[in-house]
Amino acid sequence: MMRLIHGISYLFYIGWAIMTGSLTIVARQFLPGRQYAQPMIVEVPLRCVTDLEVTLFASSITITPGTLVTAIAAGTSTQPPVLFVHALFEESEEAALEGLYDMESRLLAMTRGRAPSGPAASSAEVEQEEGSP
Amino acid sequence: MNDAVATALVGVFGISGSLLMLFSALAMFRVRDALSRINVFSPATGLGMPLIVAAVYVYDIHTEGFSWGSLLMAVAAVLCLIIVSSVASNTLSRASVLSGQPVYRKTAPNRLARPPAGVVDEDPDSPDQPRAGD
Repeated sequence: MMRLIHGISYLFYIGWAIMTGSLTIVARQFLPGRQYAQPMIVEVPLRCVTDLEVTLFASSITITPGTLVTAIAAGTSTQPPVLFVHALFEESEEAALEGLYDMESRLLAMTRGRAPSGPAASSAEVEQEEGSP
Repeated sequence: MNDAVATALVGVFGISGSLLMLFSALAMFRVRDALSRINVFSPATGLGMPLIVAAVYVYDIHTEGFSWGSLLMAVAAVLCLIIVSSVASNTLSRASVLSGQPVYRKTAPNRLARPPAGVVDEDPDSPDQPRAGD
């Protein structure tokens, strides 16, 4: 029952995200004097586990205007699966990741019945591995 | 449903859907690389074409009356448009990255510029050169 409620609210959330994203893409063409887009490719370690969750999350990201999944790295025994997301209109990498994790929490609340309470991702590990080439 | 409401709804849905297609196409000229072009075209497929389907459905109700068959067709068309365009954009972007299309140089940060962490399978026992990320 809770999953049904979460699922319906997720559908409304996606619909709202599609509308605001489309408005952003259209409206920013009429704002002169600033750069149209700030493209970036961010790395999103996933909390999604099953194939269904990963597929739904990747499709939801791509259907939202302004974000696009460019690559999916499979998870290993120590690493979560990773999505590489191309974002156009975010101010910073942190803002982009925050929006994506919000969407992922709502999606996991739909597939699991409640939102995950654990930490978002082991970004410390990712940072650490970036340091060592 | 009287004439005025139906005409207004058809006009609003159809024209806003068409304008979304037009402005998405114009936005493709404002960005510089293939990934961004795939990205800015999603308003057309995610919102513009469903709006045009809604306009056709309202017109159908007005001229031929309500029927479950046309409602089913409209709902299926909208759902299929959204799902198919999402999967198609994923496929296009993956094809664009894997075929080595250049990424706009001001893309920052670009986390794809180096091999993803944990993906390159390096064998510590192997004396070979470390492979390029694949």
